[in-house]
Amino acid sequence: MNENEISEKIKEMLCQRLGIDPEELTDEIPLFVGGLELDSIDSLEIIAAIDEEFGVSMTGVGKEPFYNVKTLTAFVAEHLN
Amino acid sequence: MTDNKNRCVVTGLGLISAIGSNVDECFKNAVDGVSGISKATTVDTTNCYANLAAEVKDDSLDEIPDSQKMDRCVKLCVKASGEALGDAGLNDFDDSNRLSVIMGSCVGGVSAAQHYYENEKPAEDVTKIPISAIANHVAKAYHAGGVVTNIANACAAGTISIAYACDLIRAGKADVVIAGGTDAFASLPFAGFLSLHALDENPCSPFNHCNGITLGEGAGAVIIESYEHAMKRKAKIYCEVLGSGISSDAYHITTPRPDGKGQMYSIRRSLENSGLDASEIDYVNAHGTGTAKNDDAEFLSLHTIFDSENEDLCVSSTKSMVGHCLGAAGAIEAVLSIKALTEGIIPPTIGYSEEDLTSLKERAGQIDFCPNNARKKEMTSVMSNSFAFGGNNASIIFSKKSGNVVEPKTNERIFITGVGIVSPLGNDKSEFVSRVNEGASLDKPSVQSEVGRKDFDECGLKMSFYRKLDRFSSLQAVSGMKALKDADLTVTQDNAFDIGIVVGTCDGPISTICSYQQDILNKGTAGGSAFKFPNTVYNAAGGYLSICSGIQGYNVTLTNGIQSGLASLAYAVNILRSGHAKAVLATGNDENSEIVTELYEKMGYFNEGFHLSDGSTTIVLESESQVNERGAFTYAQVLGYGMACEPTDFEHLPKSKEALVKAINFAFLDAKISATDIDAVIGFDDGLNKACDTERMALKDVFAKRADSLPLINIHDIVGEGRAATATLSAVYGALILSGEMGENVKTRNCGEIKADTLNTLLVISYGACGTYTAVILKGCDKK
Repeated sequence: MNENEISEKIKEMLCQRLGIDPEELTDEIPLFVGGLELDSIDSLEIIAAIDEEFGVSMTGVGKEPFYNVKTLTAFVAEHLN
Repeated sequence: MTDNKNRCVVTGLGLISAIGSNVDECFKNAVDGVSGISKATTVDTTNCYANLAAEVKDDSLDEIPDSQKMDRCVKLCVKASGEALGDAGLNDFDDSNRLSVIMGSCVGGVSAAQHYYENEKPAEDVTKIPISAIANHVAKAYHAGGVVTNIANACAAGTISIAYACDLIRAGKADVVIAGGTDAFASLPFAGFLSLHALDENPCSPFNHCNGITLGEGAGAVIIESYEHAMKRKAKIYCEVLGSGISSDAYHITTPRPDGKGQMYSIRRSLENSGLDASEIDYVNAHGTGTAKNDDAEFLSLHTIFDSENEDLCVSSTKSMVGHCLGAAGAIEAVLSIKALTEGIIPPTIGYSEEDLTSLKERAGQIDFCPNNARKKEMTSVMSNSFAFGGNNASIIFSKKSGNVVEPKTNERIFITGVGIVSPLGNDKSEFVSRVNEGASLDKPSVQSEVGRKDFDECGLKMSFYRKLDRFSSLQAVSGMKALKDADLTVTQDNAFDIGIVVGTCDGPISTICSYQQDILNKGTAGGSAFKFPNTVYNAAGGYLSICSGIQGYNVTLTNGIQSGLASLAYAVNILRSGHAKAVLATGNDENSEIVTELYEKMGYFNEGFHLSDGSTTIVLESESQVNERGAFTYAQVLGYGMACEPTDFEHLPKSKEALVKAINFAFLDAKISATDIDAVIGFDDGLNKACDTERMALKDVFAKRADSLPLINIHDIVGEGRAATATLSAVYGALILSGEMGENVKTRNCGEIKADTLNTLLVISYGACGTYTAVILKGCDKK
């Protein structure tokens, strides 16, 4: 799976599981403060979703990979397999 | 001194929990610091990071008559209620209309939902799922025929049900109320709290390690009786129930406000409503769940309110022994608080090591959190606090003295000043009016309202907010915001606590509940969604409405069948008369979906001329003084209401006709009018023969010879049976007719088209499938 595919999958998952409007979800927009204003419940959902979709565990990981779709994609790509 | 007619006393107690099957056993174990927490046996905890629960171990639950028709939560509740009634010596209560049942629950019959999906969807599970079933079963078991309903405010439900019971008695609507709460341990709440990482791996440790909750189960029942009634029958009196305080955080759907503002408001309000100072509280049974966020906020609230006023305060969390019993928590804790007060001994908060005791000293200050050991103390007044999902806060005070309880203003006139409509006819008042007048009709047996981006934008709701809402909460957010706008009522910092919300619903967020249950079935208990879980609680819609509107006052969600949409109006009238708010949003809210349609098919509803629909209707009600102050427009006056119940199976609904007759007559009494004053009836016949027959027979009884010629209006032909939404919409339709907004002519079922200006006083009625009825009287306002 290349980074583009990972990114598309992450976006699809965020829209479907967190009710985010696809039009507002760019690669760059911050997911939390100063962007889409996601909260701690959403971060738990993201961790569960990434685990389910990619088999990548984000439990206990710092804040940085959660910054936006780009950083999430990079984290998943790095830890896939 | 509280006037004798406003005094409410406790005359009976019932309890079942992980530490006992009756009050004495539970209280003894609580005082001895016995924990009921152990490895969960009834939920599959494979792959779960936590596996503890405080389960009830009682083999006698299936001996309850009709137990095969009950979810476990109902069995627990019937058992505790029976103990309480026996304790009160009320086994031969002879006026059922003066006996009410108000029961709280968070998750209701979710075990039945689990069974439904795991066992090829047996039809008999369907009626066990809704919270509505709880109070109806209790009413049926003990022949209660007054106000019968359920409070569905998650973890504050048990406390609010006792508060409402007292308000009903003070309003003269009941002599005796069985009030309390129940919840059974089940996979849905376990999976949900697990997904939120809110479960402690070890036994919960409130005001100590604060690593999360341990779920429990059980039921508590308190017999609340008017002082005069108790004296007349020479009943044993445990204590008085003084004032209560209920508020909403308007902050977050699961997280309490870190500044404790909502909690402090409910605590202060309960003191004010009791006529007590903070210095007069001897013991607080805390909410004390054991989550860091709750306990931090609660430490702050308790210190802020009590530190400078009270040097001798004891606080404990009995959840350290019985677990967090959700909708039962407030009721169980009320029973334990009352026992503590009357026995002079306070159950401890258990679980502190020597090291823990040292760190507790720093956080506790001068408050005694009763670590590990019970405290003997002579007490006069105690408080019980419950803080729930949805940002709901509730406090109540039990006392050996009669206090100085605020007197209800039963003569205050109440007006409808705004309406918000989301219906299959559209989401706008003017759209509703024109579609009705065009003669809109339904083309399918199952229809939905449409709610989406356009509505959210119109209501000023941002994506960061509305993305969280499921269909149930979306419907409510839109109709609620539209009603506020229609009333031209702006929520400000100054009035936020003076405005309340009463959501009425028949089925709650049933699609989300069922889909969550299916997720657990497919993915295991560890596969629950953190995002979806908050939306499985019935009061999520009311919580979100408070968040998006900023309303921080009274907030309650009630549920007992279709009539919940009129019962919400009645409850709101009670809140205004009791002085708990100056304005209240009363709503009816129910959703339709493939899941809901399937459940109604299973119950056989579509065999007759029935159209299932959904929607949300919100009415803004304001007291006369507030109307005058604001110069608000008034659609109509709510003259009064009446409620009655004759518990029955839906199959035999017409047998409960007498309860409808009584509800109508009670409404006349409350409104100080008679049957001859009624110009038209807005009925509830939704195409089901049983409902139609019941309505026809009752109206014949009430109006005698006039019954055939009295105009009968009905909106179900136009909008379908949207359940609570349609019940409230029936009242809105009446208000629009009386204010002239429906135009010159009104269609009736039996008299053709009649002139709207011949109508001045309307009777609106609604039913619950188990024989519960609400009647409301609306009167036109003088046109200036």
